[in-house]
Amino acid sequence: MKVRVNDVELDLPPGTSAIDAVFAAGGDVPYFCSQEYMSPIGACRMCLAQVGAPRKEKDGSWVMDEATGQPKIFWFPNLMATCTTQVMDGMVIDTLSERVKTAQNGMVEFTLINHPLDCPVCDKGGACELQDRSYEFGDGISRFEFDKRHNEKHHPLSDLITLDRERCIQCKRCVRYFEEVPGDEVLDFIERSAHTYIGTADEGLPSNFTGNIADICPVGALLDASSRFRGRNWEYDHTRTTSMDDATGAAIIVDARTGRIERIKAALNPDVNKTWIDDGTRFGHEYVDSPDRLTTPLVRRQGKLEPATWDEATAFIAERLKGLSGKDVGIAIRADATLEEGVAAMSLAEELGTGQLDHAPRPAASLIGNQTATLTDLATADAILVVGDVTEEAGILDLRIKDALKGVTPPTLMPHGVPIADLRLKERMPRKREILAVAAPYRVELMRHAGTAMRYPAGGEAAFFRALGKLAADANATLDEAGQAAVGMPTDQARALVARLGAAKQAVVVLGGFALTRREAAEAARALIKAVGAKELAVGPMANSYGLELLGVLPSHERYGYAGMLDGSKALILSHLDPAQDGEVAERLRGKDLLVVHDIFMTETAHLADVVLPAASVYERDGTVVNLEGRFLPVRAAPVDAGSSADLTGVVRALGEAMGKRLDGRSVRSARRTLKKRFDVDFTELPDHGLLPRTKSRGPAKAVAGEAPSATGNVLVVPSMARAEYLNRNRHLAAALGGNRLRVHPEDAAKHNLAGGAEVRLRVGGTWRQAVVQVTDAVPRGLMTIPSLPEQPIGLAQADLTSIVVEQVRLEVAS
Amino acid sequence: MSDQTATAAKPAPILSRHDPRYEVTMYRYVGVDGAHTLDFYRSHGGYEAAKKALTSMTPAQVIDEVKASGLRGRGGAGFPTGVKWSFMAPPDGKPRYLVCNADESEPGSFKDRYILEDDPHQLVEGMIIGAYAMQMTYGFLYVRGEYYLGATRMEAAIQEARAAGLLGKNILGTDFSFDITVHRGAGAYICGEETALMNSLEGLRANPRLKPPFPAAAGMYGRPTTINNVTSLTSAVHILTKGAAWFSSMGTDDSKGTKLYQISGPVKRTGVFEMPMGATFRELIYDFAGGPTMEPKAFIPGGSSTPMFPWEDRFLDMPMDYGTLAKNGSMLGTGGVIVIPRDKCIVDALYNLVRFYAHESCGKCTPCREGVGHWLPRMYQKLVSGLGRPEDIELLESVASNIKGNAFCPLADACIGPVQASLKWFRDEYEYLAANGKSKYAKNDWWQA
Repeated sequence: MKVRVNDVELDLPPGTSAIDAVFAAGGDVPYFCSQEYMSPIGACRMCLAQVGAPRKEKDGSWVMDEATGQPKIFWFPNLMATCTTQVMDGMVIDTLSERVKTAQNGMVEFTLINHPLDCPVCDKGGACELQDRSYEFGDGISRFEFDKRHNEKHHPLSDLITLDRERCIQCKRCVRYFEEVPGDEVLDFIERSAHTYIGTADEGLPSNFTGNIADICPVGALLDASSRFRGRNWEYDHTRTTSMDDATGAAIIVDARTGRIERIKAALNPDVNKTWIDDGTRFGHEYVDSPDRLTTPLVRRQGKLEPATWDEATAFIAERLKGLSGKDVGIAIRADATLEEGVAAMSLAEELGTGQLDHAPRPAASLIGNQTATLTDLATADAILVVGDVTEEAGILDLRIKDALKGVTPPTLMPHGVPIADLRLKERMPRKREILAVAAPYRVELMRHAGTAMRYPAGGEAAFFRALGKLAADANATLDEAGQAAVGMPTDQARALVARLGAAKQAVVVLGGFALTRREAAEAARALIKAVGAKELAVGPMANSYGLELLGVLPSHERYGYAGMLDGSKALILSHLDPAQDGEVAERLRGKDLLVVHDIFMTETAHLADVVLPAASVYERDGTVVNLEGRFLPVRAAPVDAGSSADLTGVVRALGEAMGKRLDGRSVRSARRTLKKRFDVDFTELPDHGLLPRTKSRGPAKAVAGEAPSATGNVLVVPSMARAEYLNRNRHLAAALGGNRLRVHPEDAAKHNLAGGAEVRLRVGGTWRQAVVQVTDAVPRGLMTIPSLPEQPIGLAQADLTSIVVEQVRLEVAS
Repeated sequence: MSDQTATAAKPAPILSRHDPRYEVTMYRYVGVDGAHTLDFYRSHGGYEAAKKALTSMTPAQVIDEVKASGLRGRGGAGFPTGVKWSFMAPPDGKPRYLVCNADESEPGSFKDRYILEDDPHQLVEGMIIGAYAMQMTYGFLYVRGEYYLGATRMEAAIQEARAAGLLGKNILGTDFSFDITVHRGAGAYICGEETALMNSLEGLRANPRLKPPFPAAAGMYGRPTTINNVTSLTSAVHILTKGAAWFSSMGTDDSKGTKLYQISGPVKRTGVFEMPMGATFRELIYDFAGGPTMEPKAFIPGGSSTPMFPWEDRFLDMPMDYGTLAKNGSMLGTGGVIVIPRDKCIVDALYNLVRFYAHESCGKCTPCREGVGHWLPRMYQKLVSGLGRPEDIELLESVASNIKGNAFCPLADACIGPVQASLKWFRDEYEYLAANGKSKYAKNDWWQA
């Protein structure tokens, strides 16, 4: 459609909003209420413009202006909010006239009359839309001479978000966000007229995605409580990187100041997280700044770990390795190591000649399926089956599934980026719940949005998929009682589900961690996926699980895997892993000839180590990760002061020097040379949005099964948005979540005499876990759930329920 | 004139209540004891129009009849009712809703109240006709919260009608089924705006919604919905009873039929008068309301949101129809005429009005929330308390023009229209007040007279 914006002619697709036409034409109008990926509502009235359009005669020809010979433009009598106006063929938009300027100035004046203008003490100062727009479009003076509205200045909406009710300009972005994006309606306007303020019905913001409202607030009303008063925007070093919090690889901006991470904000990656991240990603960084971070290597001398230089430490390791056969050395890295670190680990293993190389946690089944879906496939799917708790496991999946429920395809990017006002999006859109089926062993959040919700017996994933597979193979088959129990629903419902997956144009099956814990479950799942012609998204346990498997950081034989090397090796090099939390494993580690621990804290294992090397945290590395779609994403180091800590490439460089070798992967650059040969991708030039290789993802170098947890148990280790191992050090997140939760069914709570809110210790497997009891009927009888650790991956586990020690009883019942 | 022959062939339209051809219809039984019962209503010809529609007419015929009558929405905007009804998509077997807007909250308007209280069956019948015409599956009656008696009477009438087979399944033995739920509002003027009303009915915050989609496409719960004023629906009863020709025999070119006009302020007989459209203000004020009891200086033509006119013959002799008022810079609105006496300070009167709108602004959009809701009442307060300066009047004008036409829904303009009209006609009073610190007309207990 031909549109003219202030004498710039444009050709735009129908359905485009006038505000996007203005920006596409290189023009500018202020706006506060519109927000990318959310419905336009026309509330702030800032984007007013003079809009006109030609009219057609009854015979279809244009009404002509006799003076110019052009179609006559009929101007709308009122100025139009461009965000809610759709372009028409021949539309003329004027944003520069005196009338428009007067109106913009008037709106700025109105917006500011109840705004406290406390910019000098406001965290948003310098990055505030209201501030910028007031300078650009306001008069600089206010004619308002009365008292401003006074209201609460420090209202804690939750432990994570603080609201300044005076600064709020009622743009409704946050209120709409909760309804439209995560679908958790936890915030609304209260009161009316000039008294309008936002608030919650109950305490807190019960949603996993609350932090995004701090990003989208156009003023300093909603602030990330963890970074309030910590710095000014222009003082922060902004590092655009990829989140290593889960397998989706959300784009984030790490804001650091004087060597400390102050906050994390969501960044735009239209194909991955759009502009949203979950609270685990946003607030889960505080541990990095803990005072007990390791900053210098430690070497055991006379039985005691003492500070040393890197040269001393690596010389010590090289010396000890000399006395060992290389194949007796085990090397294990955590699954959020970058590809570059993976190259380093592989090259070290190769140098030592050991097949005992692994990354952990690594599920029993491979993450690399035949038909891996993209997140865009998921967001545009017309049938989705989710097995697991993706809201906790990989929050972005949850949000992209909710995109699919709206049935609105991701917007086409415009010259100025994501459309500011996508008129296809509406407030309170009807959701196509029927396209979503969610199955899990306990009640998960996503079930609230699902047309079909199933609870199958924990550990029964293989039976679940086999039963559905049976129906996929034969539409007339029936499920016996055991089969119906396995899918958690009657035959006809299961049949309808399978039929919908089969009939869908684009069906996606999301395999959460539970479905990958056992090979036979994953095999059955993949058989079903093939039978119904769906695509799959397998959710790896950590940020680079997919990448490390793809790269082949794998043992040469199943028995040389992570669990095997804890037993079988004589020397161990562990990066970010803490197996000694398990008492029995700790006992075995004591007998090793050499134990090298590369970590950021003095973990249980580090206490047993011969050499402890200070590690770079996930925010302090340069590298590349591969997310669950197989998308290569860049990771960039934020300027964090962490002493002489180094990532694994640094370890390999130092160790190589001590051994007199120049190993591949001795630096990120060196590792990238290797990676380029392997993947034919130049990782130094990786765009922010990542790269999804067109070619079908190649399978792993070596197919080696991971370790499967036990098939039975009384505790289900479950995924958690917040990383359990660091939660105690993530002050704000811990306060908001109330700690790592041991979720117990009310009947079990009564049986074991557990009260909600009680802080308990219990032994799960061989590991003592600390947790806070939450009594809820979301979990089935006879099964407790506890968040996973890298060393205690999701799946069933056996807890010694007699071991439960109640350390502190709280009066408040967290539920 | 060329159409002289046509005029001769067609009798002159009824433009006055004094015309002998005119008879009161909608308000015939208002004030009659016991008129709210089904027995009374039926014994006076009630439900015959509904019966006629349901048993002898197709829905399309009903819509055509209403279209032919020239009935325009009586809620204030004056959109042709038949056209509105024809916007509904054909039935698809899923729910579609008829909503009757009885959230009559505009100062100066009180016509619906007496229908709800004294003639509830007339409205039930109107809703049945409207629902049949558009093949609605369910009806909601949104009654202003303060209309307790009206809501109670409506509830009772609906129950009576249901018991008599006039509501519920298979009405009057036909295969048309329809029922009505009465919902009482919680005291928000904005709920008179149709999309805010739908939000309120759905249990949401009463903010107006973005249009499009219009309610006929996606209204209540996303389903096709039509929202009609009480007297639009009751008019339909009489259109079906007496025919579209009867209805269109009254009124001016663009405004047909009868309308309920309300009058308040210092006149002998305040109240509701059913008159043909096109009757003049003078007829209403002098003939029916008995003339002013105090010396008047202005009148508001159609409810508080319509810009006022000074007390001049050219305005008093204006026909009360949609087009004439629009041409003269005001609106017919709900037809609620308010007479303002000379001794009432116009600034004070506007302060009262502005406070109302400040209180009722929903807070959704900036100019209304901050301008109408916060700034205007303070400026008026300053003026009224004698602290104003002459430049405050210019400021007031500037702020008003910044709000005018820039807000999301008509509520802000409903406030600004009267403000600008008062400045246009009575600027001297503003100036006097600002210059002298006291009102030109200091008498402030005028209502006690």
